[in-house]
Amino acid sequence: MERFTVKAIQNMLSDKQISAAELFDLYRSRIADYDQSLNAFITTDVLPNTAYMTDDQDQESPIDFALTGIPYAAKDIFCTQGIKTTCGSKMLENFIPPYDATVVRRLKTQGAVLLGKTNMDEFAMGSSNETSYFGSVHNPWDIERTPGGSSGGSAAAVAAGLAPIALGTDTGGSIRQPAAFTGITGLKPTYGRCSRYGMVAFASSLDQAGILALSAEDTAIFLESMAGFDPLDSTSVEESVPQYSQYLEENIKGKIIGLPKEFFDGSLGSAYEALIAESIDSYKKLGVVFKEISLPNIGYSVPTYYVVAPAECSSNLARYDGVRFGYRSQNIEDLDQFYRTNRQIGFGQEVKRRIITGTYVLSAGYYDAYYLKAQKVRQLINQDFARAFESVDIILGPTTQTAAFKLGEKIDDPVSMYMNDMYTISANLAGLPAISHPIGFVENLPYGLQLIAPHFKELDLLNLTHQYQKVTDWHQAVPQLLQSSEGND
Amino acid sequence: MTITKSDIEHLCGLSKLNLDDDEVPIYLQQMTDILEMIEQLQSADTNEIIPMAHPLDMHQRLREDIVTEANHRDIYQKNSSHVEEGFYKVPKVIE
Amino acid sequence: MHWETVIGLEIHVQLACDSKIFSSASTAYGQEQNTQASLIDLGYPGVLPVLNQEVVMMAIKFGLAVDAEIADLSIFARKNYFYPDLPKGYQISQYELPIVSGGQLFITLDNGTEKRIGITRAHLEEDAGKSIHDKFPGTSAIDLNRAGTPLLEIVSEPELSSAKEATLYMQKIHQLVRYLKISDGNMQEGSFRCDANVSLKPKDNTELGTRAEIKNINSFRFIENAINYEVERQKEILEQGGSVVQETRLYDSDAGETRSMRTKEEANDYRYFPDPDLLPVKIDKEIIEKIAASLPELFNQKVDRYVKTLSIKRVDATAIAKNIELAEYFEDALNTYNGNPQLLANWLITEVMAILNKDKIEIASLSISAKSVSQLIQRIDDGTISSTIAKNIFSQLIESEMSVDELIKDQGLEQISDTNEIEQVIRTVLNENQEQQDQYLAGKEQVLGFLIGKVMQKTQGKANPKLVNDLMVEILSNH
Repeated sequence: MERFTVKAIQNMLSDKQISAAELFDLYRSRIADYDQSLNAFITTDVLPNTAYMTDDQDQESPIDFALTGIPYAAKDIFCTQGIKTTCGSKMLENFIPPYDATVVRRLKTQGAVLLGKTNMDEFAMGSSNETSYFGSVHNPWDIERTPGGSSGGSAAAVAAGLAPIALGTDTGGSIRQPAAFTGITGLKPTYGRCSRYGMVAFASSLDQAGILALSAEDTAIFLESMAGFDPLDSTSVEESVPQYSQYLEENIKGKIIGLPKEFFDGSLGSAYEALIAESIDSYKKLGVVFKEISLPNIGYSVPTYYVVAPAECSSNLARYDGVRFGYRSQNIEDLDQFYRTNRQIGFGQEVKRRIITGTYVLSAGYYDAYYLKAQKVRQLINQDFARAFESVDIILGPTTQTAAFKLGEKIDDPVSMYMNDMYTISANLAGLPAISHPIGFVENLPYGLQLIAPHFKELDLLNLTHQYQKVTDWHQAVPQLLQSSEGND
Repeated sequence: MTITKSDIEHLCGLSKLNLDDDEVPIYLQQMTDILEMIEQLQSADTNEIIPMAHPLDMHQRLREDIVTEANHRDIYQKNSSHVEEGFYKVPKVIE
Repeated sequence: MHWETVIGLEIHVQLACDSKIFSSASTAYGQEQNTQASLIDLGYPGVLPVLNQEVVMMAIKFGLAVDAEIADLSIFARKNYFYPDLPKGYQISQYELPIVSGGQLFITLDNGTEKRIGITRAHLEEDAGKSIHDKFPGTSAIDLNRAGTPLLEIVSEPELSSAKEATLYMQKIHQLVRYLKISDGNMQEGSFRCDANVSLKPKDNTELGTRAEIKNINSFRFIENAINYEVERQKEILEQGGSVVQETRLYDSDAGETRSMRTKEEANDYRYFPDPDLLPVKIDKEIIEKIAASLPELFNQKVDRYVKTLSIKRVDATAIAKNIELAEYFEDALNTYNGNPQLLANWLITEVMAILNKDKIEIASLSISAKSVSQLIQRIDDGTISSTIAKNIFSQLIESEMSVDELIKDQGLEQISDTNEIEQVIRTVLNENQEQQDQYLAGKEQVLGFLIGKVMQKTQGKANPKLVNDLMVEILSNH
């Protein structure tokens, strides 16, 4: 079974090797055949976006938009008009939004075709896709392992070839970590680059919509259509959107990449370190220059995040009270118990834990010591990056501590789970764009490498990654699950 | 910072959550671990540092005072099972 | 023990914008439930607030009018609590860094002196929806039309020392927001709501006593009663050695007392933090200057102008300027008027206000145009009609489509100023009223009024009263 890239699909469509309708059916039957073992999708009975499709591959295609006929999957955190949007939660199990998220609307306008809504950690809270009300997602490389989270469904779907590309969200690493665990490319754009309107909020100052894809090239193609100012989102930025796909071939010779000494303190396994060293060599061969830098406050990333994100989420999730939408218990006569029961039953454990943590750090007597303190430390981390970027163009580091861990391994130990995000969180705190791309395998499990750029320099991330992917083929490795299947498509 | 059972109860009261009796000790232990981890922040030197509420140094955009929303009550209320005569219904509020 | 009353008022003013503070739904009053609640007002998943420009402008206007500081950078904060009329489970308000801080207002006490009342701050926030508790049995009905309506919360320093002062302050703010046209100040519709924080302290103590908050006072009549009741209630507690409980109380206007609100939980911890969906609001000096230059004439300036340039008596100028809409009606009439403004003013204060009071309407609902009033007074001025006839015409104007001149012509109401004609009527009246004539000649001067009245009767009020008077006196004296 072949995993088609978006680029390949564009060629196939324009060469009329296949029609958009056939392509849609192809992916739909793959999902039907293989998703049982992965549980990557929550909703798949989505009607095709027929405006852009014809059944007959000989017919003239309709007006070509940037993404005409390209199928994609969307994390179930993006509101899709008329299509159930659950956020992986019982609370929104039957919620059908009457509106599209802005990024979904933009992709729709460019002719992209939604295949289905992917599974995710509940309300984007988790790093293993084990907190979903709809069951855990399995990693196509080893179904006993997690694909990462919270965009686990999107990552598994793309890695397994069930969708050529997928939308995800990244608040503390929820695109990059699953990309690393499943051997694909995941991009978190600059905060404010993509609109958050219609993207259910977890932590408002950290959330960003992003892409999980098979290559930097595919990522660039989709990002062009997704990104851009939205008047409906006060935090979206009026920065022009470059034609990212035009920058992929820019010369990277002489680019300076910083290696933060705090990221390379010997705590990574030697096998992973070796992979990173190899990829650094590959970049050196492409003319990139490396330099040691320091991000002295980076060690505070995880505690900072686990104050700020729960605080914001405890407030963002207060609207889920069962009154206007969402899970609602019957026959409760007391208003207080009504709220409490709806939320007790509607929310899972991790969500409740974060709400309680968030309420705590904002409460009277603790606000200064926790929330205010965390926002100050956040400033320190931001300043560290700003200082580093004065002397380097890009920062490189690991994406994760380890490869994908086994399902059930960390779910009872929240702090251990939280530490998963230690390399990815700082980019969210500073609002910086960051990408993870595959760099090899250890014991048949994929590993990723992370690149972080200054604000609005997604161009450089995509450019570098694309050049790397031209001289390596880690991103083309296909999981066992698919290799053993004799698909007939 | 030690957290107690009554702290958890108080926090649940503020955030309108119920926990089962057998869940409370588990949450208490987990919260204790989380708070211990967060405590690391105290060792950061933040003297004279301005808190960072937003990743970008931007100001609020203003929108023109024009009504552009139409009445979509019937569509919106499809998502609630407890609507009568266009009102949302909740258990009686006692003031 | 001598107790001093300390009162601070928190006034919530609904700003007169077309759309809501964070969404583009309409703010129109009285619409069918939930027809003006957008996704943002309903707190749906994934939706985001965007700030209404006009709201910021209005807050700046207010700040400038009370000599306050306008914040260069101002932050919106979330006030977190659960209530069915609060869809998001938090209210977007302002906590630290409000848009306006440190202003002042002057009230004129009964003895004529002015007292300065400090304004601590004024901040922007969104209104909640409405709960109706008796519509359906066993449940509360929620209408979210009002959710998201822009509010300006104006907080005074605790510098009001009596219910009377509190009432004067409340009236002053009410007048001001209407002058500035940032609110219609309609208390029945909830556009202007007042909470009072009342406490007592021993005279000469600097430390303030425990205060009770009286909520939602929605009429000027009630505020004085409510506060007076509360002061007495607290005095009684303190004099018996007890302590006042810090709590929220509601004023029951029927019973004339304040009652403790039964709240479900202890004092709420609102966990304020800056709203991450909104960015700091920056206000440039240029904007402030532009708004300052376009501020309308305020009450004191208007009164002074009426006195100085129109030569209207101060007491009358004050009576007209008190209500901005009445003042605008007056100024409208002045545009087409060529006589003595005092006469126009008199008419407004007597005849026009009489109708407003009798029919319990606002000037906006009066069916007589300012232009008509100006024409009417013009005709008195130029001697076409007498003031008595003018009153007659005035009451006809309420129903009639005709103009002043048309009515005069149509009913032949022109004043009779022909001395011969008047003389004739006088002689007729004197002939018919010999007894009174003799009484007058014998020295009973009051009878003149009776005789003049008779002349007016015979001429259907059209005779020029001054001429009648002069000629009557002359004829009688020649007798």
